[in-house]
Amino acid sequence: MCIGVLKAPTTFLETTVIEAGQNPEQVTRILFQDFPAWMLVSFYVVAFCAIAVFLYGCYAQVRKYARGRSLSKDGLWSGIKRMIEALLTHRTLRRRDAEAGRNHALIFFGFVLLFIGTSTITLEYDILEPLTGLKFWYGSFYLWFSLILDIAGTGFVIGLLYMMYRRKWLALPKLDYRRPDRDPSDPDYARDWYRLEDWLFLWALVLLGVTGFLLEAARLVWLQNDPTVWDYRWWSPVGAIVAYGYKAVGLTSAGAGDLRIGLWWFHGLLALTFIAVIPYTKAKHIVTAMASLALRDAKPAAHLPDADLTAKKVGADSITDFTWKQLLNFDACTKCGRCHEACPANATGFPLSPRDLILTLRELSNATLEGISMPPQDRLAAIGDGVNQVRPETLWSCRTCAACVEICPVGIEHVPVIVEMRRALVDASEMEPSLQKALQNIHNKGNSLGENKRKRTAWTKKLDFEIKDARKEAVDVLWFVGDFASFDPRYQRVSQAFARILRHAGVDFGILYEAEMNAGNDVRRVGEEGLFQHLAESNIETLQECDFKRIVTTDPHSYNTIRNEYPDFEGVYEIEHASAMIQRMLANGQIALKKKLGSRVTYHDPCHLGRLNKGFDPPRESIRMLGADLVEMERSRDNSFCCGAGGGRIWIPDPTDKEKPSENRVREAARIDGLEVLVVNCPKCMNMFEDARKSTGNEDNFRVMELIELVEECMALGDEAGPDAGGAPAGASPGDASPAAQGA
Amino acid sequence: MKILVPVKQIGVVDEDFELRGDGKDVDPDFLNFEANEWDDYSYEAALQIMEAADGVEVVPVTVGPDDAEDVLRRCLAKGGERGIRVWDDALEDASPAAIVQVLAKVVEKEQPDMVFTGTLSSDRSYAQTGVGLAAALGWPHAAVITGIEWKPGDPKATLLRELEGGLVEQLSVNCPVVLTIQLGINTPRYASLRGVKQAKEKPVEDLSLADLGLSGDDLAAAGGSFRVRRMYKPETGQAELIEGTPAEQAARLVEIINELKGAA
Ligand code: SF4
Ligand code: SF4
Repeated sequence: MCIGVLKAPTTFLETTVIEAGQNPEQVTRILFQDFPAWMLVSFYVVAFCAIAVFLYGCYAQVRKYARGRSLSKDGLWSGIKRMIEALLTHRTLRRRDAEAGRNHALIFFGFVLLFIGTSTITLEYDILEPLTGLKFWYGSFYLWFSLILDIAGTGFVIGLLYMMYRRKWLALPKLDYRRPDRDPSDPDYARDWYRLEDWLFLWALVLLGVTGFLLEAARLVWLQNDPTVWDYRWWSPVGAIVAYGYKAVGLTSAGAGDLRIGLWWFHGLLALTFIAVIPYTKAKHIVTAMASLALRDAKPAAHLPDADLTAKKVGADSITDFTWKQLLNFDACTKCGRCHEACPANATGFPLSPRDLILTLRELSNATLEGISMPPQDRLAAIGDGVNQVRPETLWSCRTCAACVEICPVGIEHVPVIVEMRRALVDASEMEPSLQKALQNIHNKGNSLGENKRKRTAWTKKLDFEIKDARKEAVDVLWFVGDFASFDPRYQRVSQAFARILRHAGVDFGILYEAEMNAGNDVRRVGEEGLFQHLAESNIETLQECDFKRIVTTDPHSYNTIRNEYPDFEGVYEIEHASAMIQRMLANGQIALKKKLGSRVTYHDPCHLGRLNKGFDPPRESIRMLGADLVEMERSRDNSFCCGAGGGRIWIPDPTDKEKPSENRVREAARIDGLEVLVVNCPKCMNMFEDARKSTGNEDNFRVMELIELVEECMALGDEAGPDAGGAPAGASPGDASPAAQGA
Repeated sequence: MKILVPVKQIGVVDEDFELRGDGKDVDPDFLNFEANEWDDYSYEAALQIMEAADGVEVVPVTVGPDDAEDVLRRCLAKGGERGIRVWDDALEDASPAAIVQVLAKVVEKEQPDMVFTGTLSSDRSYAQTGVGLAAALGWPHAAVITGIEWKPGDPKATLLRELEGGLVEQLSVNCPVVLTIQLGINTPRYASLRGVKQAKEKPVEDLSLADLGLSGDDLAAAGGSFRVRRMYKPETGQAELIEGTPAEQAARLVEIINELKGAA
């Protein structure tokens, strides 16, 4: 039955491509023809050994991963679907390096097709035919396959040659393995063995591809008198061309026969060696990268994993504290360097490269967890100054901006890894005194600035109306102000402006007054999970007592944690960032503009709003509606460059002898001709850029302004007497602010 | 081998505050309670000795009401297995001399080998507890210590003190001894909230005066070398930032000068 089905289409095709008088079964792949028995036997011995080494390697890898912490993973099917989609489109590989992506696609698809080709031959020759007598590898099926494989092989070799060219001649900084977190005198500074491995890998594959063609051509010349071979030579065009080359230099049929045996062995042994070493080398990314992509989290940096505070230990300071998925992630890194290039810490000379962090942990896990038995505990330590250890200053350099996670083509999630290690550092009290102070302030006073709780609302005193106390009366919109927006003198002006805008737009809103505490976003990212949970629970307790429909905040950090992390603590709220609300109110006319901006502005995406929560468009649309000429910086949207304040770094002053990420960013903005305003959308960005504008000497060149301030300017609220304190302006009803009520 | 570390909960005054009805103290409504900063250093010094040797016990003790237990929990979050809190209503407004009486009884009960206190507490700045305690116990003492070299079993401790002009004084003192520890002697560790939560499981022994064999009268008898008569905020000079155009600023300046002349 099965045979019939398979044969039918083949027979149909035979009439089209196989010449009359020839038996299609003879038009087939020449495999072992004319091989002496000993050769055949030795080939099978070598092949079985190679497969055994491969299988043992796979087992050792799985055993290694199993030594990590357990983790239950759901959504695997959708993950696999996403992975397949990523593979087929090569989307993640093409981003920000289209050329490398395209050539990788050639290699990948070439490899896949060649692999399928070889496996079907094996399937037929070694399994199906001996067992069932089934044969399909002949006739037109063979010819078409031969053509496709020739094309695939050509793409494969071209892709590989490009990669060689790229490594040798493009001298891309991201492919430079010298590490920012080591000194040149450290043994693992340059890691030349990585370079060696890269080249061996490339050469092995190129030679495989090239010898495949040479072998094919040798076969053609050797069997040039056999019409079932030679007549069909153009079904393997590359082989045919090479065959003519052979003939041109005088290779005879007999000579080609000998050449064929030599090449056959070379090609075969190389292929088998390659298979055998897959689990032990860079080649394993073929498997680990796919697994890593399939296991990706939906929000790896926006929603950090929970830690069990009652457990004996929190965080990760030993390689076995990472989950099996993280250990697998470490193995998936292809050293492509995209994260290395995107990382703001690395770009400004801090001792952190997300690539090297992952590779350090990979080396540690390979050195300790691949053996039959486990080494003593002290060899598993992941944090320290030794080889294969991550230094604390490396961990503290991170801004949790997720630029690394976002660009990694194989779905490695650096931020949770870094935060887990920071949790261990915090537990051991290994941190900068300034950070310790900030955490203590938050613990004692609920805000990082160490200000008295009662002063949280001091900024409201300058308003000529009173903001509702959401604890005491019902409001439509609860405004979660956040620490910096409450206490930072520069940003207080923005908070005041936002209050005036809301009031003018007739929004029924209120704040939590001194009951509001730091939302905990950065506390969590610093690794102080206990304090984060305390803050989340306290804020949620306060919020549960209030009557409101939704939350708005100008602070992307508070926005992120309330939106993505509070639900784990039963705090499920509808929340939006101020920029989204403004965009809506501009679009529906709830905010009436009296004038337009004509100025040339650029916009900086805050990591927590943009990359982490995909809030790229509302602020841009708002800026356009204000009439400004919006020019993008070189790095924008998902490639936005962190202001440097994330991950708790706002509490750890950057050293003065290095360029700060904020300065790097401000210089980028300054490269825009005729720039008048750098528009920010986050209290921490504001704080960072105001300083950086001064320290880079751009004070007179452009201003740093909040989107909110621009909106207020266009509403010309300052130009008229404010509405009486007490009543909302006529024509606006409180309900207008809800998205549902606005329709479009 | 045991080190006893007296720690204190202090009241930090709000920016705007009012005085208590009797005018002798700040109205507690305007106080924020925190751990005394110096005690972070003395406790850290004790923990470091504990961690460097086997068989050392560090016990924090505080004299304070219920909520002063937080201070002990924060200590225990960093290390140590148990704490002691002494309280009695009679201890409200207790003088340093009275506190010394109480602590001396605790020392008698606990029999520590060393007592580390902070140099002073930042709310009152008397700097009397440590030295007073040494006197009450008849132990030697050394104050404002910035370095300790001592391990369990040593009969003498080598201590450092920082003097004016960058000078350092090295002393040697017989043990047992009461040391008052200066800021900066070490880097106090961070008590993570997880640690604080876990420290809730550690025992804190609540003692009353009676448990220590003391009575309110004993405290009164201990008296003090002084008493607080009143507390007040002195008048402070006014500063004003003059804003506006140079002409406006000059005009305002003239106004102020005239005002002052008039006042004088
Ligand atoms: S999160 Fe940002 S700062 Fe941290 S490693 Fe990744 S790219 Fe670098
Ligand atoms: S972690 Fe990802 S982005 Fe970074 S080098 Fe490795 S594969 Fe590339």
